[in-house]
Amino acid sequence: MRTPVAPIAAAAAFLVSTAHAIELKFAPPDFETEYAMPYLFIPPPDGRNTWWEALILFGALSLTTWLVFKARSRRGLFGVSVFSLLFFGFYRQGCICPVGSTQNVAAAIFLPDVAVSWIIVAFFVLPLLFSLFFGRVFCASVCPLGAMQELVAIAPIRISPALERVLGLGKYIYLGLAILGVATGAGFLICRYDPFVRLYRLNDNFGMLIAAALILLIGVFIARPYCRFLCPYGVLLGWMSRFSKFHLQIPPSPCVECRLCEDSCPYNAIDMPTPRHLVEDPAQGKKRIRGLVFLAPVFILLGALGGYMMYEPLSRMHPTVSLSERIALEDRGIITERGNLQADTFRVEGKTAAQLHAESLAIKEQFKTGGALLGAFLALIISIKLIELSVIKKRTIFEPHKETCFSCGRCYPYCPVEEGA
Amino acid sequence: MSERKKIDRRDFMRFTGAAAFTGATWMAVGEKAEAKYWQLDPAKCTQCGQCTTHCVLNPSAVKCLNQFDICGYCDLCFGYLQPGSRDLDSGAENQLCPTAAIERKYIEAPYYEYKIHEDKCIGCAKCVKACLIFGNGSFYLQIRQDICINCNECSIAKSCPSDCFSEVPQSQPYMFLTGDTYLAHPPALS
Amino acid sequence: MLEKREFDKSDFLWRLSSTITIVAGLFSLLVFILIIVNYWMIKRADPVNHELLTYLRVEYANAPEKDEALAQRIRDLDLITRKAFFTSQTHLRIGAWVLLGSVSIFLIAFKNMMRWRPQLPELADVPTADKEFLAYAQSRHLITWAGIGLLAGGMMTSYFSETALTAELLAQPAAAEGGAESAAGAGQAAAAVTAPAWDEMLVNWPSFRGPGANGVAHFTTAPVSWDVESGEGVRWSADLTMPGHNSPVIWGNRLYISSADETVREVACYDTETGDLVWKKTINALPTSPREAPDVMEDTGHAASTMAAHGDLVFALFANGDLVALDQEGNQRWGRSFGIPDNHYGHSSSLLAYGDILYVQYDQAVEPKLHGVNISTGKDAWVAERNKISWASPILAQTTFGPQVILASEQDADGYDPVTGNLLWSVKCLGGEVSPSPAYANGMVFVANEYAVASGVTLEGAEGAVTATVSWEFNELLPEVSSPVGDGDRFYFGTAIGDIVCLDAKTGETLWVEEVEDGFYASPILVGDRIYIADLKGNMYVFRTGSAYEELARFSLGEPAFATPAFMDNRVYLRTPEKLYCIEAP
Repeated sequence: MRTPVAPIAAAAAFLVSTAHAIELKFAPPDFETEYAMPYLFIPPPDGRNTWWEALILFGALSLTTWLVFKARSRRGLFGVSVFSLLFFGFYRQGCICPVGSTQNVAAAIFLPDVAVSWIIVAFFVLPLLFSLFFGRVFCASVCPLGAMQELVAIAPIRISPALERVLGLGKYIYLGLAILGVATGAGFLICRYDPFVRLYRLNDNFGMLIAAALILLIGVFIARPYCRFLCPYGVLLGWMSRFSKFHLQIPPSPCVECRLCEDSCPYNAIDMPTPRHLVEDPAQGKKRIRGLVFLAPVFILLGALGGYMMYEPLSRMHPTVSLSERIALEDRGIITERGNLQADTFRVEGKTAAQLHAESLAIKEQFKTGGALLGAFLALIISIKLIELSVIKKRTIFEPHKETCFSCGRCYPYCPVEEGA
Repeated sequence: MSERKKIDRRDFMRFTGAAAFTGATWMAVGEKAEAKYWQLDPAKCTQCGQCTTHCVLNPSAVKCLNQFDICGYCDLCFGYLQPGSRDLDSGAENQLCPTAAIERKYIEAPYYEYKIHEDKCIGCAKCVKACLIFGNGSFYLQIRQDICINCNECSIAKSCPSDCFSEVPQSQPYMFLTGDTYLAHPPALS
Repeated sequence: MLEKREFDKSDFLWRLSSTITIVAGLFSLLVFILIIVNYWMIKRADPVNHELLTYLRVEYANAPEKDEALAQRIRDLDLITRKAFFTSQTHLRIGAWVLLGSVSIFLIAFKNMMRWRPQLPELADVPTADKEFLAYAQSRHLITWAGIGLLAGGMMTSYFSETALTAELLAQPAAAEGGAESAAGAGQAAAAVTAPAWDEMLVNWPSFRGPGANGVAHFTTAPVSWDVESGEGVRWSADLTMPGHNSPVIWGNRLYISSADETVREVACYDTETGDLVWKKTINALPTSPREAPDVMEDTGHAASTMAAHGDLVFALFANGDLVALDQEGNQRWGRSFGIPDNHYGHSSSLLAYGDILYVQYDQAVEPKLHGVNISTGKDAWVAERNKISWASPILAQTTFGPQVILASEQDADGYDPVTGNLLWSVKCLGGEVSPSPAYANGMVFVANEYAVASGVTLEGAEGAVTATVSWEFNELLPEVSSPVGDGDRFYFGTAIGDIVCLDAKTGETLWVEEVEDGFYASPILVGDRIYIADLKGNMYVFRTGSAYEELARFSLGEPAFATPAFMDNRVYLRTPEKLYCIEAP
């Protein structure tokens, strides 16, 4: 039997201007009255993502830089934080933010058919460039995520530096996972699990709202938990800041070593002067460094192996993989209840399970490589951290740690050295 | 102060690094620098109803529209009426739309105009499904670009089972089923 | 005095700010709880899935007569639900801003409270710097342990996740994928089937448009005229209950048809002598079958593909992409799902079997393919990639350079090796939505479709090196659905507007055009020197082949004719929407 081609479909062909063929089951009416077909009210997008948003970002960064270096005003920085929270947060609803833009840039690098607009590039690059010259001024008061945490950090306590460093590994893991997610097409993890963006929109996924409330509650006592332990963009900012030309200094003029600023930083970001007496035998330290450098490749290989082995659970963050497993389990009668929307829709759409599984296997292959790279990256970071912790630099003054200092200016009021004194 | 060099080597490195970094990012990102908006392809939509609940906005930025030039203006409109309606009128017992967002207006026998009040529409796609099965499919969902806040990762797209969300260029922020003959604001933005 | 006043001031500020902190904190907490309650209420008052409302609506629709009181109740409830929904949303929005405000006050007050808190200056006794540097060792240990923990945790996770489903398991060609699902049971090996030879196929009616699906009956006689209404010439008839636009196929004394609607798929077997229903089988969904019915046009339906009868086996393909093989007793040998085709009218290409292979032309919009399916196992012997969508069916042409499977798509006509599936030749000579299948006769392939062009393609060369060239084109009257047939010297076809057209096979010259009552969906069949073709109104035209139209008979079938009749052994088998007829010359 041939397929009859309904004559109406041929008539409809004249109406169709896009790729989709539409079958009109009922011919459009021929009105006898003076009826005029109404126009659809289809409003264009508002002026989102235009150049002035980048300009405001640039302005806020410049203002912060001035406040950090010239005005040395903690109050001013606080004010900019409030502005950022209101503008980038509540008004612009948190999108696009430099933290999330990391993923767009990663997507453009790894996925051949993805291009991103210049505004996203600007949002990604500007804070990093400022960081390269002036330290993490972006974190100080421009980042809407940081601003919110900065504003609630009212009674911060200092946690032990060792704990700080271990928890700080979290952001490297997060960064690695986020890039792995983008490169394999699993999605934008940073946006998906961004707790603060939910608050700007005031209604959203209930669980994430509770998580945001919890993080903020913790943030009252442990300042900026997201920035210190999770923020993936903070890793990049920290790297840049390490090589910054200018950086916030606690005293505006030579330090008198009064030790008043010692406890001022809730972020463990102030480096103390080296103790006068040695904490350990230099020979032993040197030996350890040599050992660590020698062992680093072994660590990296181990990390790569571990990451490779993780490909199976890691790949489940990709929707195709989880769908394919669900379908396979259903087909084998292991899962009997229906009602999984993704699986049900798959059944309707008529792609075969074999095709889906083939796709899933191809994705898993990507995760093998990606997992190994992720493992190696984390092992490399750990090796570097260990080596760093074995090197004791000679330091005579109190100064902020360039990588971890948020340039928030909390230490300013503690310094008794007056400008020009 | 130490002796000033003509070119500070570290500064030079820094500037070169910054320029190289910006340039490399720009290159990696590609030449197409147009802003993108999320939109859903009505041809792929399976009317699962997730647009109602999975948008970060409440009510959802996804709204139904009636494209009049492919509408049959049916008296017995399945997108408007409950299945098995006893009367073809606007009584609540006969209306399919859970928020009564569709207005039915008599034009001439036997034609009725169906207009969607988007302030009431919550994007549940009930009418879309019914119109697609029994009618021309002139009801369909679109993201209203003036409401959508254009999240970096659209949370409906993430949960859409039929993969019908994609990012469209700024110049064409809507995906209509047919031409743009009856659009008050043609999607082309200058 | 002055000092005391100063102290008082800060004490007062401290008290004030701590009071505000507590009040604002409690207030925020209250608002927060209210918002959660409200959120929960919105979830419950969801007008989209309101249980009571849905229930009442069903009640109302099912009541024998209109129930005004119930209607009123629905109206009231609907109004309340909608009002509650929209009000709650407004409340949620307001509540969120109130919460934001109260939290801001709380934070400001808390901050001031900390500032004015009476406290003694702290004295640092142990040099912090020493502690800091001692912490280096502690940090190194912790980081090392964290690294070990990560590695161990990762390995543990990957080890335990193996228990779920691994890539290796997915890759297995398990029951569901890549091939056949045995209905009898997974353990039972599919018994090899002996494929019938070509000669055997010629004395049967194994597929759409006869052996090789070429529109030629290899019998020379058939009744010329009959009358369904008076029963003249009708040997038997059977009532059909389920819809299906496919044509009957016959092997031996068994006739098979398939039928389907959105939910049920059936294959029925009739005795050709008596018209008795031998068996009727409902085809169950396979584990991999799509769960919902595909969207098809009414003119296509859910069972448009004609079955293939092939010795001991019969095959049926349905619009949802399910293909099954049954034996002569109706036992399902195997089944597989191709998935719903991406096809806006519905799948209509018919099945064709030759040798060990069943050809499934799955020309859909995305990834069109020709599957060469092994008749014994149901698995793909080979798969050929295709270019475009089509609604035509494959034909088997016995050319002088060996047999070929010839296909038409939206763009080209292609010849394939029936055994290996290799593409032998391909000509771009079509355009638009192709429904008519190709016709082959005497070295010429004829392909055509409405709104485009008809082409005569000459096949030349030798076995293994066939060249195809378009010899002529014709674009005046074209077939839309009905397929052409060739007698060697001429090609004949019926158009959708009601013309029977005869073209010279060598030159493409129009020999004659006969205008008749209605258009054609069913295809012409050549029986000896006669051609039978039925129009949509149900008029059967019988004419002699030749350079002029010579009508032998014209009569009404009494019902519209969509399906092409089957001709076998001096009998005609005809499927109309409601009946199945067997016509035999008296």
